[in-house]
Amino acid sequence: MTPTRRRLLAAPLVLPLAAPFIRRAAAARTITVAAYSGIFQENYEPAVVDAFRRAHPDLEVTYYPIANSAQALGLVRAQKAAPQIDVVIMDVSVAKTGTDEDLFEPLPKGSLPVLDELTPKAFIPGVAGPAVLFDNYVLLYSPPQVKPAPTSWKVLWDASYDGKIAVQAAPDIVGIALTLIANKVFGGGDYHQSVAAGIDAIAKMAPHVLTWDPKPDSYTFLIEGTAALGVGWNARGQTYARQSQGKLGVAIPEEGSLFQINTINLVKGSREPDAAKAFISYALGTAAQKAFTERMFYGPVNTKAEISAEALARTAATPERLAKMLDVDWIAVAKMRDSITDQWRRKILRVR
Amino acid sequence: MALLLLIPAVAVNLLVFLWPMLNLAALSFRDALPGGGIGQVLSLGTWKDLLTDGYYWSLLLNSVVVSLIITFAALLCGYPIALFVHRASPRWRNLLMVACIAPLLVSAVVRTYGWLVLLGDRGLLPSLLRGLGWARPPRLVFNEVGVVVALTEILMPYMILSLLAGFGRLNPVLEEAASSLGARPFTVFRRIVLPLTVPGILLGCLLAFVLAVSSFITPSLLGGGRVPLLATEIYDQAIVSLNWPVAAALSVIVLAVFGVALTLYGRLSRAEA
Repeated sequence: MTPTRRRLLAAPLVLPLAAPFIRRAAAARTITVAAYSGIFQENYEPAVVDAFRRAHPDLEVTYYPIANSAQALGLVRAQKAAPQIDVVIMDVSVAKTGTDEDLFEPLPKGSLPVLDELTPKAFIPGVAGPAVLFDNYVLLYSPPQVKPAPTSWKVLWDASYDGKIAVQAAPDIVGIALTLIANKVFGGGDYHQSVAAGIDAIAKMAPHVLTWDPKPDSYTFLIEGTAALGVGWNARGQTYARQSQGKLGVAIPEEGSLFQINTINLVKGSREPDAAKAFISYALGTAAQKAFTERMFYGPVNTKAEISAEALARTAATPERLAKMLDVDWIAVAKMRDSITDQWRRKILRVR
Repeated sequence: MALLLLIPAVAVNLLVFLWPMLNLAALSFRDALPGGGIGQVLSLGTWKDLLTDGYYWSLLLNSVVVSLIITFAALLCGYPIALFVHRASPRWRNLLMVACIAPLLVSAVVRTYGWLVLLGDRGLLPSLLRGLGWARPPRLVFNEVGVVVALTEILMPYMILSLLAGFGRLNPVLEEAASSLGARPFTVFRRIVLPLTVPGILLGCLLAFVLAVSSFITPSLLGGGRVPLLATEIYDQAIVSLNWPVAAALSVIVLAVFGVALTLYGRLSRAEA
């Protein structure tokens, strides 16, 4: 075979493999942002990414949807030698793992002007990137089936909702968070010491639970009417509730709730670190924080963002709610996760 | 020349199966660090934890038992259908074969959701039972019952195809001869039909068992988190807990289960031949 023929035959094989790299090389200033798929992408892309594109016409931004933080970590791990992702939005405990594995560039206070505008809670020791969005744990209910609207987590232990409760079990963060909430509500004390009270309480709830693994999620189970009660996250809950025409309700119970933290991280070895930092600055800036909070009700991290009172009321970022929040150290909880999951398996999931 | 023809298949297998499996096995010899990290030093820690934890043994046992029940149920439901198709005239046989395979044209996810609709609390079957006066019919989904029913239906086409492939030795003349010598229909089935169809039964059982052990979507959708199986645990460990070494070790165990099933199949096939 002559060299020319060999090249002609090899081209169709090699081209698809090389396409992503060719595309990157062709667009001089392209960054890839990995963040959650589904309803998050549907709202984040128009509210933040599109606005950034308009503000920076010289930069091309590719939104890479990920199912969850673990998937993002897997991708960044696999691409460590030649990163294709520049910015990742992920859960704080997973971001800590990535930081420990030297996958992210540290962004300490002072490294970007916008960081001076953030709440001190946005800087988590041992995590490379700052918090970008706060979310809080909520009680989900079906207004047609649960009357009046619940005000306490203890409604989950009401036997009249037998077979009508959909909760995601540990090791999912939703199950872990329920353990911490139940531990607080049932007088378990400091969760660093023990979550036994929470585990015992959930074991008593277990016979009334319809499913510990609602697919696609608890929100859908409630909207469809398959379940009457569930637990989840405020931002998604509020967004689905607004679309559900009264089929889904969201309550932040009187005993309080807890925050979950999403961080924004610059991938080490990014080919466009300046462009990536420009995006991170924009995502943390007042305009993006206001736009996204008012669109999807995540708690803002930028203290200078002027959020409308209506949107703020749908988050846990009001003074009276903040006072009742359980202060959770997710890095410490990540270390307890295996132990909590083990207790779920032995004491909760076996209950029929 | 014959060996040269094998090179593409061997190369593909080395690249897309053996190499990843070796990597997976190597990963199982790392320690899982708190929070999802992976230790860099080779260690037996993950395997020691796995083999000394009763939970993982119960997981293995549960996976094997549930898969065997599904295999048996698929055989029980698929055998009469396969026999009927085999005995049909050639014209009808093709049509019936298509009918048997047709469910494979619909994704397992869709079929699983179909079972969720039929067996769910407000589904057809519970509603029927309530209509017959059963005030609180047993829950048919989000437990083992739902997983077994749905996977049996999903794996039946594979079972039927395997049975038909192994029915080659079944000759109607032998059945007629037995009947003419006074054997009753059940005796003909027990002494003639069943022994001659053993190759198909073994093949179908192997395929259904292997597919049942490795199935993830159906147990995940219909198990309600109450049916701990190896496949769902691997997903949880890899994607939710970020414990890749344990996920890798469990994957190696699944491979070992397949190895045992294949060995058993080989021995039974040889003994039967």
